[in-house]
Amino acid sequence: MEKSGSIDSLGSKRSSSRQPSVDSLSSTSTSRSDRSAQAKAASAMSCDSGATPTELSPELRVKPKTAAKQVPRDSDKEEPQLLPNETVHDMAQDVTYFCPFIGAMRGTVTVTNYRLFFRCMDREPSFVLDLPLGVVSRVEKIGSASSRGDVSYGLVCKDMRNLRFAHKQLEDTLRKSIFEVLVKFAFPVSNGLQIFACEYGQVFPENGWKVYDAVSEYKRQGIPNESWRVTKVNDHYEVCDTYPSTLAVPVNIPDEELKRVAAFRAKGRIPVLSWIHPESQATVTRCSQPMVGVNGKRSKEDEKYLQAIMDANAQSHKLFIFDARPSVNAAANKMKGGGYESEDAYQNAELVFLDIHNIHVMRESLRKLKDVVYPNIEDSHWLSNLESTHWLEHIKLILAGALRIADKVESGKTSVVVHCSDGWDRTGQLTSLAMLMLDAHYRTIRGFEVLLEKEWLSFGHRFQLRVGHGDKNHTDADRSPVFIQFIDCVWQLTRQFPAAFEFNENFLVTILDHLYSCLFGTFLCNSEQQRLKEEIPKRTVSLWSYINSQLEDFTNPLYVNYTNHVLFPVVSLRHLELWVGYYIRWNPRMRPQEPVHQRYKELLAKRAELQKRVDDLQREVTNRSASSSERAGSPTRSITPVQTFV
Amino acid sequence: MFSVKPMKPTFKSYLPPVQTDVKKTFEPPIKKLEPKLLQGEIVVNEVNFVRKCISAESSQDDLWGKLICTNFKVSFIPQDASSKQKSQLSHLLLGDHDIPLTCLEQVVTVNDTKGKKKVLGSNQKLKFNPTELILYCKDLRIIRFCFGEAGPEGAKKVCLAIAHYSHPADLQLLFGFEYQGRRYHESKGERVNGSTPREGLRTPIFDRPSDLDREIKRTGASEWRVCSVNEGFAISQSLPEYIVVPVSLADEDLKKYSVFFTDQRIPLWCWNHPNGSALVRMAVISDPLQQRRIDQKVFTAITKSHPQRSEVLRSDLDKCLPNIQDIQSGFVKVRQICVIDHFEESDERWFSSIENSRWLEYVRAFLKHSAEIVYQLDGKNASVILQEEEDRDLNCVVSSLVQLMLDPHYRSLVGFQSLVQKEWVMAGHRFLDRCTTLKKNDKEESPLFLLFLDCVSQMMSQYPAAFEFTESYLTVLSDSMWIPLFSTFLFNSSKQQAKHLMDFAKNKAIPHGEDQVVYFPPVWDWSQQFSPKDQTLFNNPMYVGKGAACVQNGEVKTFRRTKKAYSHTLRGMPASLRNGTKVGEDTLTRRGSLLSELRSDFSPVKDESPSERFFRDWFSRPADQQGLLIPLLVPSHLALWKLYFLRWVPEACIPKGGPITAYRKLSQLVDEIEILQNRLRQYKGRGPGNGPLPSPSGPLSDQRRMYFKASSPHDPPSPSDVLTSSFPFSPTGNLCRGGSHGTPISKFLNGARIWLSTETLNDTV
Repeated sequence: MEKSGSIDSLGSKRSSSRQPSVDSLSSTSTSRSDRSAQAKAASAMSCDSGATPTELSPELRVKPKTAAKQVPRDSDKEEPQLLPNETVHDMAQDVTYFCPFIGAMRGTVTVTNYRLFFRCMDREPSFVLDLPLGVVSRVEKIGSASSRGDVSYGLVCKDMRNLRFAHKQLEDTLRKSIFEVLVKFAFPVSNGLQIFACEYGQVFPENGWKVYDAVSEYKRQGIPNESWRVTKVNDHYEVCDTYPSTLAVPVNIPDEELKRVAAFRAKGRIPVLSWIHPESQATVTRCSQPMVGVNGKRSKEDEKYLQAIMDANAQSHKLFIFDARPSVNAAANKMKGGGYESEDAYQNAELVFLDIHNIHVMRESLRKLKDVVYPNIEDSHWLSNLESTHWLEHIKLILAGALRIADKVESGKTSVVVHCSDGWDRTGQLTSLAMLMLDAHYRTIRGFEVLLEKEWLSFGHRFQLRVGHGDKNHTDADRSPVFIQFIDCVWQLTRQFPAAFEFNENFLVTILDHLYSCLFGTFLCNSEQQRLKEEIPKRTVSLWSYINSQLEDFTNPLYVNYTNHVLFPVVSLRHLELWVGYYIRWNPRMRPQEPVHQRYKELLAKRAELQKRVDDLQREVTNRSASSSERAGSPTRSITPVQTFV
Repeated sequence: MFSVKPMKPTFKSYLPPVQTDVKKTFEPPIKKLEPKLLQGEIVVNEVNFVRKCISAESSQDDLWGKLICTNFKVSFIPQDASSKQKSQLSHLLLGDHDIPLTCLEQVVTVNDTKGKKKVLGSNQKLKFNPTELILYCKDLRIIRFCFGEAGPEGAKKVCLAIAHYSHPADLQLLFGFEYQGRRYHESKGERVNGSTPREGLRTPIFDRPSDLDREIKRTGASEWRVCSVNEGFAISQSLPEYIVVPVSLADEDLKKYSVFFTDQRIPLWCWNHPNGSALVRMAVISDPLQQRRIDQKVFTAITKSHPQRSEVLRSDLDKCLPNIQDIQSGFVKVRQICVIDHFEESDERWFSSIENSRWLEYVRAFLKHSAEIVYQLDGKNASVILQEEEDRDLNCVVSSLVQLMLDPHYRSLVGFQSLVQKEWVMAGHRFLDRCTTLKKNDKEESPLFLLFLDCVSQMMSQYPAAFEFTESYLTVLSDSMWIPLFSTFLFNSSKQQAKHLMDFAKNKAIPHGEDQVVYFPPVWDWSQQFSPKDQTLFNNPMYVGKGAACVQNGEVKTFRRTKKAYSHTLRGMPASLRNGTKVGEDTLTRRGSLLSELRSDFSPVKDESPSERFFRDWFSRPADQQGLLIPLLVPSHLALWKLYFLRWVPEACIPKGGPITAYRKLSQLVDEIEILQNRLRQYKGRGPGNGPLPSPSGPLSDQRRMYFKASSPHDPPSPSDVLTSSFPFSPTGNLCRGGSHGTPISKFLNGARIWLSTETLNDTV
């Protein structure tokens, strides 16, 4: 009797303090009930749906676990709860928001230096839209004033949604419309303002800027060793201004020679170590294209250098060069002085093209995907519409390339060199995915942060250019969803290996949300050098400070830490899926699947309770038998707890 | 060129491998290759020195052995007993290399050197000596044998025997009749004084009024009664003997009306909603002149059986759902894409191919229509009649899906089995014709039951904690259709079953009055096929772990018809029923507000229908796993049932991955919980201070319900090599159709591929 009672209390009932409507909020397929504890990180991107303010307001506070209970219902307030150093710059009433799912509604808009906040009070529960301005890609007036005297604005967002607002034509023409204010703060860079990350003053218990230290990461990999050394030749970014200051290179290539190799590689991005196999010593190295040109220029130093990389691995007398590009593109690069390694010049090397398309193709593909999924999915032809975007095909090619690299290193014990043109887009995708397959460390939360800091941030993926933080020039051809594509690939891996990653889907969605939010400094600037110059670590908070201060929200409870467990995903469209929890999260009717993770947490709680009761009983019995010591002959067996590691 | 070895073990151990060397040096004595035969099973033909192809890329992994055709199965006995091919789920009646003859879809013989192939039917001649035999199976396996070293005549004979015996002309020739007869007599001794299997079975068969009575009570259908007008199949050939009808209809009326229905199938009660609405299924009224009159009588009677005299709605499934031929052709296409087409090539246009097969569209259509019916029953408080020409195909799918969505009882294992028994087996789904177990008209073939299982799997993936059973269970259940040993899938109707089993009993000297379930058991007695340990693979840890209160059995007491369990239903009621409630007030205050004005002008959702509103309301609230469940029907949320369609495709198998890795972790946790619960129980059972403490493990272990047991903290968390996305099945030994690891490797392949890529199952020579 007692037993079943406790079971019920641990059952699937949801905390009564939560409002039912909140559930429609859940935009990712991470647990819905999780969300109340998720420190509202996701709410930085709260979606179009009814929401109680308690769910939204205490944004980005560490562990506001009890927020739902303690924070009084402030549904009467029309303003958002502000972050440290966030200031309200304008407010307007009677603005209509055209929600594609719920319909038009009228409410109040607040614009701060960080967000746009819309609240409609006519609804129960009141409707809230809370949008970090960093997400905005483009703001435009739609048409001229309509017959009703309304002015209409459209917002195109970087995170797969569009928003539309309207308000009455202002009588006082001198007064700026709230959308003009919004434009100013949405594009601070274009308007000579600071990005909000530089103002955000939140202090977290952990300093995320300390997550990655190149020397200790190389040390973890066993570098330096007899074949590889760590060099400071790029300490002042003189050899290569888009590379990190700390590099790992073959032992027998002196720094002077590195400089000559740099002269032959695009942008000076010489081949350097990304990862070394702990047993076979096979390595993953990355670089940019060789400057071969139409005349087939050669470089003795470069040839010798690649030979040295090969020689550093005694297991194999071959070297694989993976050129991420389609061979046609690689050949076309010769016209611009670039190109690829000829097998004549590089004896023992085999060149493989991985057929991954360039940033422009990817941008176009994601644009098409947005057309297909936002705001609504057509009932018919979903799969062929999805196919026509080619998005998953690109994902497949990237994963296939990474798999070939991982397989070469793991099964073939052969070292590989990876490059594309400049070596900061596709190359980073490939090396980091291969490393994720090869090294279980990168599948932990902190390990993944290290992987991003290393392969993406320190090696100069041009986040500023690709994302266009605070820049109004939305047509900039340098913008491209390369990083999103990478995170999508990671998500695909987590789908195929649901127990192999310490982090959950919420972690990946949070990273992407803050890729745009401009709340943290992590994804600002284009290179390590720039970040140093701009003093980003001093002036901003790292995303990892926030994440590592509440790891629980980002942890996959199903994680099993297998060491030395290489993942070989099946790279086939049969096993690739559209990431519904990211791309299709704005429609409140797309309720995510019932979360396994939530269930698991409930079970954990139940186990803990049972364990406690068993322990209590055990103690009672022990005490009793201790008091009646005549039973000395039968010492109480201590009961070992059932497995409690998680 | 780049190449990868398939299925290379990826887990590296720093410890030296244990014992494998010992095994290698041990030469097994040359042994006779004997098949494992069941009672009554005889060898028809056999041939030695046959090579079973394991990988299309090289023959180095192939197995050598003997190929045997018996009156039950095709069996391959490998020379090397420690063969790699080990299924995780060991079937008690079939070996890893065995295929029941009834599972064969097509038997293809090939002569590589002459470039000939022939699809063999029964009683056919073969003009060439086959060098290869390819067996296409109904469970989607494709098995290939090579006869290079075998005697040409012997090979030919085995091929012909397999083709001949795979589709017998008469039902009584199926091996099940032989087997169950022998088994009955041989196990008779064991049964004396034991409990009868029917009690042990727990799944009601619905061949007795008491099963129906219980169902009426459970659902509170007080205005419905069990009627025995069809006893001895007096009025309808395809209805069961006992059916449930409105209290207001007398037996005489039913008899009178029955003549107007196709096959005399009068309306059949399926289920009652707690709000009093009933779900009824019936055939069409064949006489158009009588239609209105009979309709009216039926409608009136059903209305009278509703406590609120609510309206009765009719859903004509023939008009709004794909027909059985559509479904069959969809299945043929999706099978082609998944298991027959070349792996790499079909990957290129994977999504559009799947779309073109229309299989998922059909799955969605059935789920969607069922959800609409749910709205009528739950949201509109109306009774619903499902109508279909014969009431034996589409009605089975829809009625069972509707009940699955509305009634949590059917999401328990026993409940689900009773649902299949009630809405499929007893309702007269033509399993025999639809499965084409006998040599007959192919036009009758249609995988309706599989379609239903696919729909269930979609619901399961959306609500993983709502079902007591697992995907593995659904798959194993589908496989059981091809094993001719259980009464469940062998007949077209309960009349046919009764007749055949009576003859059978007579022939086998089974005493008159013996229970059918005893001498020809249904599939629901899973101990026939699997060990208790393997059966634990059917248990969903997320459901089991929830606490057993509502799980234990499907009996009356557990169906909690309290307001609580059905509180969700109130939400869906039309606003008129909720006057005075908050929602009602809400709409009132909003009237005339700015919002409503804007809404009519701008809102893209202004044309929302009542049912759309019902669904929107439902989806805006948390789902109660023990209440109504409606599947999400956005096309992006329905996906190919991978375990079923891809489990035999080696290239699609994710090593050390797949949902099973999560299942394993969950199972272990639930196992720990069960251990703790047991321990608590033991503490409570002991009086204060007497007896020694219970041992932590002890006799409980074999009652444990989880396949994966809790590990102790001292065990290293080692990845289990057996875990793949195909688990508990293993694609090893099934034919490959392309590179491994899904990488675009060389276009490999020898002879096999050329015709495999052009082969379609419908292609006959």
